[in-house]
Amino acid sequence: QGLKPVVSTESSALIFGTTTKLASDLPATDSFLGKNKVPDLQKLFQRTDGLPVHLKRGLPDKLLYRTTMALTIGGTIYCLVALYMASQPRNQ
Amino acid sequence: MAHQAHSYHMVDPSPWPLFGATAALLTTSGLILWFHYNSSHLLALGMLTTTLVMLQWWRDIVREGTFQGHHTPTVQKGLRYGMILFITSEVFFFLGFFWAFFHSSLAPTPELGGQWPPAGIKPLNPLEVPLLNTAILLASGITVTWAHHSITEADRKQAIQALTLTILLGLYFTALQAMEYHEAPFSIADGVYGSTFFVATGFHGLHVIIGSSFLLICLLRLIKFHFTPSHHFGFEAAAWYWHFVDVVWLFLYMTIYWWGS
Repeated sequence: QGLKPVVSTESSALIFGTTTKLASDLPATDSFLGKNKVPDLQKLFQRTDGLPVHLKRGLPDKLLYRTTMALTIGGTIYCLVALYMASQPRNQ
Repeated sequence: MAHQAHSYHMVDPSPWPLFGATAALLTTSGLILWFHYNSSHLLALGMLTTTLVMLQWWRDIVREGTFQGHHTPTVQKGLRYGMILFITSEVFFFLGFFWAFFHSSLAPTPELGGQWPPAGIKPLNPLEVPLLNTAILLASGITVTWAHHSITEADRKQAIQALTLTILLGLYFTALQAMEYHEAPFSIADGVYGSTFFVATGFHGLHVIIGSSFLLICLLRLIKFHFTPSHHFGFEAAAWYWHFVDVVWLFLYMTIYWWGS
């Protein structure tokens, strides 16, 4: 999308600006609780590979999506069969 | 490459709305099969798919906002409106249960002995655990505000401390309520007193759990540097929700626990 280049610089500047500020506050805490990976993730998710956001990370996203779809479709079939059976009149 | 001439977010095609609706179908049908045929497989499947959809949908929103920069001030305004409207709808949800409580308690029927609390019901002492719970939630309202100020002042350590404390207080409340539920001398089946008490406080407890979970996600995002001093709407939404949960409890405490005893 066209907005990406403009906004990404904006938000990068925003995040870089304040992250640098945050990082310089308490370096001990930072190393204790991990380093800032947001800029790397921003690069990753702004790659122009045409992938939609829910599949942007590649394989793990695809697996999770397919698992969700399988459970949803399977569940729907189970549901329709069960409701069909439930709607049958019970004989004495 | 086409550039958009507006500050709104045209989202990528997403499967989550459809899957979410289907998950709701599975959950509701699952409830029917559980109630009438004693089978809980579909209900479990429905709850699992609902959880999967929620995780992926909200994960995508974080990606779109924090990593792709789509949450312009215009978009953020829309998100704020959305959260406010959602919380308002929840207020009306609870209003119904308060209405039910007052309907039964302001004019107690002869079947109840013409009194409230009804004859034979021994209500919980409002000055014991319920009062402690009130103090816990009020304190958590203060700690979440402390966390917010720390975020706007770029004080990472204090923000993490304050938010962690808020979550711990929420968990403490939940644990105490669970214990109270277990120890209570009356149950949900004890007439209209039991119904109004457990449905109102029960839904509140569910909202405490939801709010605590939301705050926990915010803590993880805080630790991962997602929030900036000027842009942290996810946290604000969680804080609004938490204050709402606190206010509902105050009303519950004053009406059902205190006046109703």
